[in-house]
Amino acid sequence: MAERPTRSTGTDCAGESRIVDVGVGQIAVAEAPDRLVASALGSCVGVAVYDPIGRRGGMAHVMLPRASDTALDGDPSRFADCGVPRLVEEIQQLGSLRSRLVAKIAGGAAMFRADSVVAGIGERNAAEVRRQLRLLRIPVLAEDTGGSHARTVTLDLRDGTVSVRSIAHGTREL
Amino acid sequence: MRPENLSDMQMDAMRELGSVGAAHAATALSQLLGRAIEIEVPEISLLRVTEVPGILGGPEQVVAAAYSRFLGDIGGSILFVVPEQAALALVDHLHGRSPGMTECFGPETQALFVHVAFVQASAYLAAIARMTDINVLPSPPQFAHDMAGAILQVGVARLGMRADSALLVRTAFIGDGFTLDATLLFLPDPEGLDIVLNRLGLA
Repeated sequence: MAERPTRSTGTDCAGESRIVDVGVGQIAVAEAPDRLVASALGSCVGVAVYDPIGRRGGMAHVMLPRASDTALDGDPSRFADCGVPRLVEEIQQLGSLRSRLVAKIAGGAAMFRADSVVAGIGERNAAEVRRQLRLLRIPVLAEDTGGSHARTVTLDLRDGTVSVRSIAHGTREL
Repeated sequence: MRPENLSDMQMDAMRELGSVGAAHAATALSQLLGRAIEIEVPEISLLRVTEVPGILGGPEQVVAAAYSRFLGDIGGSILFVVPEQAALALVDHLHGRSPGMTECFGPETQALFVHVAFVQASAYLAAIARMTDINVLPSPPQFAHDMAGAILQVGVARLGMRADSALLVRTAFIGDGFTLDATLLFLPDPEGLDIVLNRLGLA
């Protein structure tokens, strides 16, 4: 498996909440009381998967829908069809049962509409994420997708709350 | 041509192309503003597509941006990105009034900003087209006022489908005696690189 270059900030002291930044195309898993943040999602989709009993979970910062059949390099986690199953597998490795997992998703906007290929990517990202979660039988409890604005998504692993922040709409909870 | 396979000489040629494009864009901008505009030596970088959204002062930096696809013998994207406050000041300068009068991005402000971006993209591409004898046309830019990371994603989403890396030519514009912290990003599609290098005799 490819390396998982998650950058962590804050302290590691017991009881203190770390904020784990999930960069574009990355996945990260953590346990309460940490928080996982995917910043400035445009057409990208932030997939928050949470185990309410184990109080752990993960976030995928999905960039594109599917790995095409052309030559590829780099970490394929940036594609929904690879990143989402890999995220769920990593949470399971921490000891969570898949049947306990729930998901919330946000992002998938169309920042610019004139370019047809690019304008559709957000929507296709969200659709592929939903499809992958359905295949894994993980229910999507809430979502904030579409539109044409950027979002920063935070998953609080203490209680599974997902907050979505945007310049146009402020902060809302999912 | 995959961007990561470019030789040093080919990278230099792309940087030179960027310099000429940027010089023309700066001239056009200074004519619009009636003020001197300076450019920094363009920076050419080969980045992982996943790194690009963080390059302009972090993903959450609020910016005004105009995104334009260009079409013709080569395809690609041009992004004109200016931090929020500098963008509002730029519009004030275009109106010939002191900065601080424009406070939000209304339709008129957006239209002026897009106008500037279009002139810049056209000047940049015209210079490249002349040097390499190709046909290339900018499409009308689209405006956005949002987080830089989300805007930069758009430029690399297309590239990310096929490749892991993006070739990015970046020019900073500096106003003489006023703040203009503008950046022009030129992101050619990988197929276009072959054509351009071939015309320059460097394929």
